[in-house]
Amino acid sequence: MKTFNKILLGIGLVSLTYSCTDLEEDLVGDLTTDFTVDGVTNQSFSGSAFTVSDGLTSAFGALRGTGTAGHGGYFSVQSVSSDEMAVTQKGGDWYDGGIWLDIHRHTQTAANGPIKDTWNGGYNAIAQVNNSIENGNLDANLTAQAKVLRAYLHWRLLDLYGRIRYVDENGASAQLSRSAGFARIEGEILSALGVASVSAAMDLSGSALTKGDVKYRINQFAALGILAKLYLNAEVYTGTARWQEAHDAADYIISNGSYRLSDSSVSVPNPSKRPAVSSDAESLTGYAAVFSPANYDNPEIIWSVEYDEATAGGMNFHQMSLHYASQFTYLFQDQPWNGYSALEEFYNSYEDGDARKDANFIIGAQTDFGGSVVVDLASDTQDPAITYSASINELEPNAGRTDGARLGKFSFKNFARPDLDNDYPIVRLGDVYLMRAEAKARVAGDWSMAAADVNTVRARAGVSALGSITADSFLAERGREMFMESSRRSDLIRFGKWNSTWWEKTNSDAYRIVMPIPADAIQNSNGALTQNQGY
Amino acid sequence: MKIMLLKSFLLVGAIMCFGLAKAQTVSGNVSDDNGPLLGASVVVKGTANGTTADFDGNFTIQAGSGDTLVFSYVGYTAQEVAVGNQTTINVVMVANNELDEVIVTGYGGQKEKEITSAVVSVGEEEFNQGQVNDPSQLLQGKVAGLQIYNKGGNPNAGAQIRLRGLSTVGANASPLVVIDGVIGASLSNVDPNDIANISVLKDASAAAIYGSRGSSGVILVTTKSGVAGETKISYNVQYSSAERLNTIDVMSADEFRAAGGRDLGATTSWLDEVTRTAATKIHNVSMSGGNGSTSYRVSANYRDVEGILVNNGFTQMNARLNFSTRTLNDKLKIEFSSSFTDRNQQNGFSEALRYATLYNPTAPVLAENAPYAFNGDQFGGYFETLGLFDSFNPVSIANQNINDGKKVEYNYSANFTYSLTDDIDVHFNAANQLSKYGNRLYYRGTSLWNGGAASPSRKGSATLYNDEYTFRLYEAYATWNKSFGNSNLVLTGGYSYQKQNFNSHSVTVGDFPTGDFDYINAIELGQDLLNQGFVGANSDMAPDNEIEAYFLRANLTIGDNLFVNASVRREGSTKFGEGNKYGTFPAIGLGTDLNKYLNLEGVNQLKARLSYGVTGNVPAGNGLSQEVRGFGWAGGGTSGGNTFLVRAANPDLKWEEKSEINFGLDFNTDRLSASLDIYEQTSSDFILDRQVDATVYGFDRRFENAGQVTSKGVELAVNYDLVKGDGVNYNTGIVWSRNQTILDDYVSEQERFANLGAPGQNDTYAIRVKVGEEIGQIYAPVWDGTVTNGSQNFVDVNGDGVINTNQANMLNDDADFAVVGRGTPDFELGWTNQITFGEWSINAFFRGAFGHSLVNTFRVFYEPRVGSQKSYNYINTELANPEITNAQFSSLYVEKADFFKLDNLTVARNLNLNSSLIDRATLSLNVQNAFVLTKYTGSDPEPSLSDNGNVLAPGMDRRNNFYSARTFTVGLNINF
Repeated sequence: MKTFNKILLGIGLVSLTYSCTDLEEDLVGDLTTDFTVDGVTNQSFSGSAFTVSDGLTSAFGALRGTGTAGHGGYFSVQSVSSDEMAVTQKGGDWYDGGIWLDIHRHTQTAANGPIKDTWNGGYNAIAQVNNSIENGNLDANLTAQAKVLRAYLHWRLLDLYGRIRYVDENGASAQLSRSAGFARIEGEILSALGVASVSAAMDLSGSALTKGDVKYRINQFAALGILAKLYLNAEVYTGTARWQEAHDAADYIISNGSYRLSDSSVSVPNPSKRPAVSSDAESLTGYAAVFSPANYDNPEIIWSVEYDEATAGGMNFHQMSLHYASQFTYLFQDQPWNGYSALEEFYNSYEDGDARKDANFIIGAQTDFGGSVVVDLASDTQDPAITYSASINELEPNAGRTDGARLGKFSFKNFARPDLDNDYPIVRLGDVYLMRAEAKARVAGDWSMAAADVNTVRARAGVSALGSITADSFLAERGREMFMESSRRSDLIRFGKWNSTWWEKTNSDAYRIVMPIPADAIQNSNGALTQNQGY
Repeated sequence: MKIMLLKSFLLVGAIMCFGLAKAQTVSGNVSDDNGPLLGASVVVKGTANGTTADFDGNFTIQAGSGDTLVFSYVGYTAQEVAVGNQTTINVVMVANNELDEVIVTGYGGQKEKEITSAVVSVGEEEFNQGQVNDPSQLLQGKVAGLQIYNKGGNPNAGAQIRLRGLSTVGANASPLVVIDGVIGASLSNVDPNDIANISVLKDASAAAIYGSRGSSGVILVTTKSGVAGETKISYNVQYSSAERLNTIDVMSADEFRAAGGRDLGATTSWLDEVTRTAATKIHNVSMSGGNGSTSYRVSANYRDVEGILVNNGFTQMNARLNFSTRTLNDKLKIEFSSSFTDRNQQNGFSEALRYATLYNPTAPVLAENAPYAFNGDQFGGYFETLGLFDSFNPVSIANQNINDGKKVEYNYSANFTYSLTDDIDVHFNAANQLSKYGNRLYYRGTSLWNGGAASPSRKGSATLYNDEYTFRLYEAYATWNKSFGNSNLVLTGGYSYQKQNFNSHSVTVGDFPTGDFDYINAIELGQDLLNQGFVGANSDMAPDNEIEAYFLRANLTIGDNLFVNASVRREGSTKFGEGNKYGTFPAIGLGTDLNKYLNLEGVNQLKARLSYGVTGNVPAGNGLSQEVRGFGWAGGGTSGGNTFLVRAANPDLKWEEKSEINFGLDFNTDRLSASLDIYEQTSSDFILDRQVDATVYGFDRRFENAGQVTSKGVELAVNYDLVKGDGVNYNTGIVWSRNQTILDDYVSEQERFANLGAPGQNDTYAIRVKVGEEIGQIYAPVWDGTVTNGSQNFVDVNGDGVINTNQANMLNDDADFAVVGRGTPDFELGWTNQITFGEWSINAFFRGAFGHSLVNTFRVFYEPRVGSQKSYNYINTELANPEITNAQFSSLYVEKADFFKLDNLTVARNLNLNSSLIDRATLSLNVQNAFVLTKYTGSDPEPSLSDNGNVLAPGMDRRNNFYSARTFTVGLNINF
């Protein structure tokens, strides 16, 4: 036994040689050295002045999940397919199977990922609204709001895909003709407004909706704003124009609402003011204030989608658009992606001095937070300093990495997180003025009728009044005002310009005024969905 | 750890100090036909008194005249001799017939000759040698049809294991592991040194006794146990040295400068900076013995393993006790086994390998060597190429951040067997297992990569994660063994209950103050706690996952040469909806030795087997049949929030089933043995999380029974004694397998998988599945070998005169895409050579896989000479075409990855110490991955069986795969 124990001891000692530690106690969980800490320097702007508490939080929140102001969903499909912007292929970056090139060139197919995601996102949001209606113990007002929200979500799908299924708390309809879809949406909103039709003399006293001004919820004016958008495009959807009703809806908002354009009296701090850079403005005024991180209570906004950097994410235009190195201009938490930029022709449609030009784009030489140049070591030119140019050399395959003005309308704040705080307006007064102007001109068959409202909007932007107005100059004005607000695609279609040629977009297939129904959706529907003609 | 080891020794001491009885002296000799049997066990029956025969086969023991001596030796039939008046007893032992060897088959074992299904048993002597840290590595290449691949060989990553191709899509595709009868036990809680034998149940007929969990095959592990008699001590020590073997070719700093890359003034070999020659030490000590009807084995295993990546490796302490005794007049047998593993692992960051491959080779490591003014303090003193996409200093990644894990596993099992009558045994098993894993993930505030060093507002992030897995097993069964004339029937029937639970929690806090301090251990300093919405917290507990089962099996032997095995298991699981909880899994097999009728000369056996069985598969995930919701706060979180749907319900969800038919032949002569198996298996109703019509179900995803795959295959194992006897033996063996899996039915006609990803290759899919065709098709435009303006030109595959390589059209008829490779091999081969002469033995094991291809993703992204590439390194394999300046995935980046390698070479010498203390000592030298023959330009040509868990997408060699190593090991084994 003794021998064995000795052997054991020996083996044990050998084995343990590699596991011995000294017996020092290392206080890794406690501070053992002194150091000082600077205070918290980055207090975020508060995105929301207050929030609402009801049974519709997730229903309205579902708008964020559909890519309303982010990459890959509704905003992207609606905007990249227009002449506002493109996602160019920058060598090894952003080819991505050609999905963005296809959407911009109008060569998209039914298998296109973002087109599929936009469809699914829309119906998931609708399901969420229906879920709230079924489970929410909603009163009449909230029920009416939910139904208008649902109608709005269906309108987006109708506008993009044409022939949709209408899904309410009782289930899904068959695939509807575009006219029948239009009628369902119209009916649902009119019902919430408590009227049989929109007219100058309508009485909304029977509406379950209120006139109260809660930006993240739908009141009578928001519902009328959606109706105005619907009627404005009625001819495209149904073949029958509804200009008068579009006019009356817009006019009712302007005449009866307490909203006013965000003019020089409205000013908020410039969120990207760099202490070391004296040329940075101290504040944002007028038009620019409508889209700032502190835009919750802007007097122009009638209905907006709430975004918050911490708890209501989904807006990330800074990531989508800026060059990687622009991180150092704003000291963003995350590196941007260098994707989206405005088309040169669109940028050049703004005259110098237009407040909207400064507000909507980031262009020129870029400096870091301290005011020094920022560089791109992978730059094609010998000088690696970053200067955003208006021109873009080509759509693909080797678009310049700093080519194209960047999307700056929803202004970025210094130190921003991956998500932004700016709320995204769905209905705002500037848009309503232009809708009223267009409808008035269309009713009269005379574009000069649009002058008053157009010049109201132009005056706010600090540019001179237009003497004469044509369909083309109106469309251009609307484009300047509504950049990045997901309106351009519908506007181009309504003005008959969708199949025109711009930049590297040459395809003019007539059937592409609607997007293809996603192939997966057709496959999963067991025959309930059929493809749009032409695809 | 020290305490564990000492406890083990104390325990051994206590067991050894059983009394030693005094009686008369009996001596003698134990031998077989060839001479003395060194180490044969001699025990006085029913006592603890025992000894072993010495080098010449001689023994001496104290025994009374009424005692009986039991002589035993592994591989020989035990003999009992009454002492009576004898003082000298000489015994000639008779070797067991190999065909009478009992193979573990689940709920007991069967003699090899009676088995009618496809079962392979691999003994200790056949295991892979060298540095083996994961028990599955013991079997790599040894069993036809069993695929075991750990691409690159990260020591902290488990291997992907597949038996007979793909048998499921939505559920667990890895075989069920049963250790010493404990179903679902953890392979990581067994040290490879403690394993005596592994049986693999390959076909459904064999696996059906394990019902729902047997669909992907069953691996039965038997750990070493003690033999009553003299105490044996064994000690193993191994030292290994591993170094980087293959990487993907990139440019040197000079080549990079010449190719127009941006020169940052330095010359750095990034891979050298983040890899090392890794040193590993392994110690195992075990003691076994016992007396009379009691035996034990205890072992302690210590591993200190380094990976070739810096800050990657683990240290592990493992201890195991196996104890067995008989009582109540030997009617009750109690077996107890327990093991404990404590593992500290440095997971490190495999991303460092990826960025080391791609980082600008002219960039300096340290900020002080930067070519321009650079604030190094902000980045921990490291240089960074700021303002580039996906570009990070790999040395900073590896050295500044922490990714450490700690795993503790404990299990015990107790088996009670009571002989009710001579014919009936009753068994009761209880087992418990507890596994805990904790992870500390810390991105330092000065790390650009994930640490936020570029942002002034939120630097550093710390995530603490813990999970816990518990498993309980209770089983009761009885066996009835009855002979009728020369026929025999064994009936086994019983009940099994299994309960698993998994829970986890984690918290993430960031934004730490300055100072060089590991805030992972002081997250309360995170300034995130002052800011809204930054602290991440998560806790989760899975529902109890319970299974109960009833099973019945009959093993019938008719007239000594017709074998019939049948079983049925009925099993219920908590995972399914009401009405679909239970499934029934039957099996039947027939076998006979044809040679008993043919009487071929020199042939010992020619057995034919035919079997059929059905197994099920419990899907991964929980609550699959039910609606699942998420929760979202309102903006600001001050006013509550609402739930929202994230998954629609499917109350009709049912068991996934696999049926399999297997035909086998076993052929044996004195020198040659061969086994051939042919099978076809069909898995139907496999469970998939699939996209559905949101307008109907309220959400666009739910689980459905959605498809069927059929797998066919052939497996051949041949073993031949080329040289036998005269002190020289040379045995060689080949295992060969071929498998083909066809997708019979799926949610859609075709689907694409394996999105390549950023930069620039999103919505670009490399893999296609198509109903009616083999799985794993690599599907891409076909490069015609020419380049125009920097872009590849493609072949008009469908000949319609239009070249359409638009990715979105990939699955359409007008697309010019083709199957340019397959992710699964045509066949796999293992070739063992075992040579012994005198005290020397050599074991050379070659392994290969042929016919598969891999998508070399490094090349897709970084080989084209795109403009933005010039601040990264260029991948520069022999296939690189410098004319291509536009990155587009095509056949150019899909490579045949056939390989043949000397996987394992061991040379061992028995040291004849002639010591009374040491029975035997063996010194061995081993090389793993000695050489690899392949044309593949990536780092490791082994097949990739799944892509981020998607088993329908084999063939992707992703950028985050580890780099393979060549390992040299010196080992010493001493038996006392």
